[in-house]
Amino acid sequence: MKKKILLATTGSPASFGAARVAFEMARRYDAELLLFHVAGVPKKGFSYQEVSDVRSQEAVSVDEDYMAWVEEELKTTYAKQLEDCNNFRILLATGLPHREILRVARGEDVDMIIMGAHSGDSSAVYSKGYPGSTLQRVAKAAKCPVMTVHRESASYMGGFSHIVFATDFSKQSESAFKYALSMAKEFDCEMTLFHALDITSKVLAQSDIEDKLISLRKRLRDVYGPKMGDFKNFEVDVWEGNPYVEIVKIARERMADLIVLAHNTRELDPEQASMGSTLEQVILRANCPVVSVNRPDKV
Amino acid sequence: MAKKIMVVDDDKEITSYLTQLFKDNGYETVEANDGSEAHDIVAKEKPDLITLDLEMPNEWGPRFYRKLTQNPELKKIPIIVISGLPSNQYAIQKAVASLTKPFDRDELMKIVKQTIG
Repeated sequence: MKKKILLATTGSPASFGAARVAFEMARRYDAELLLFHVAGVPKKGFSYQEVSDVRSQEAVSVDEDYMAWVEEELKTTYAKQLEDCNNFRILLATGLPHREILRVARGEDVDMIIMGAHSGDSSAVYSKGYPGSTLQRVAKAAKCPVMTVHRESASYMGGFSHIVFATDFSKQSESAFKYALSMAKEFDCEMTLFHALDITSKVLAQSDIEDKLISLRKRLRDVYGPKMGDFKNFEVDVWEGNPYVEIVKIARERMADLIVLAHNTRELDPEQASMGSTLEQVILRANCPVVSVNRPDKV
Repeated sequence: MAKKIMVVDDDKEITSYLTQLFKDNGYETVEANDGSEAHDIVAKEKPDLITLDLEMPNEWGPRFYRKLTQNPELKKIPIIVISGLPSNQYAIQKAVASLTKPFDRDELMKIVKQTIG
């Protein structure tokens, strides 16, 4: 199992789902949990720092008292979960959230980052359509897999038993596949290898669609079958439609507790690959945690 | 013959409250304190309805339900989710109802009667 998990949290209700999964994973799989919070963005640097407080948005000078208060607030917020968590550390920092999250992830050599899709802005734009910029930047640059838990209902996992790996056969999907397979083996899960045939803005005869489904199922078996090794608890499936909708639907239908997919499949250079639209929409809509993987590190 | 209801919850006070409520209304009851314990009991007892908590120490409600649906003999047993977790109506979407703790006993009994008589 992943031994070190970084929970990047704002302490707001928007990150409660991510926190539930992180604490549950740490307990169930005996991992160390780093509870990480960026207390604010500094207005002045070096010898004297003044940050806008995450909750009140007021300018506060950063000193030991303030940081101790923030830590106490976090302990109060997660009091119930911390009671059952034996192996955790609370880490605080000031700075730009994505940069600090990546810095800690690198410094601590974490195996996974878990976070919500955005910081808790309750506007409909964020809750419906777009992940926040912190997630975008963390997912783009993180060397380890990034798990996102956007909805409260996506946090009802209690361990993994069915993983949906969604692929478009791209090179980037290979790292995601390796990660999904290693998780499935480690947790003795069922696994669904899934491809969504994009038929949006196309008018196709039904027999054409069904011919494509048949050939794509064969392609899934041909590409991934030989890589499954002695792991036999998997099935392949291809559904037609709008890819992100179909990925969310098959995860719901199979009652999957994890979706794994590549972070961006068009951009070959991981340094350049911002989050793809399919992944964005899957993150915001899925009823289970979503892991994005784009790099071969840590898989 | 009285219909049988299985109560799955790790909170002993909730299980005893629900058990008494169902018995007072003429149902037989069985209890399980965790999703993993519930697997064996459900196969043996074959209840007519299950009330299910979501967050439990070992096996969570959604995982229990997932395994239940893999057994053709058991997959049609109606489920009522009773949980304190927010958004619990999305956890088991094929449940006949999802109630939030603290729940209204009259509402629960109405759903039970509509479901299994």
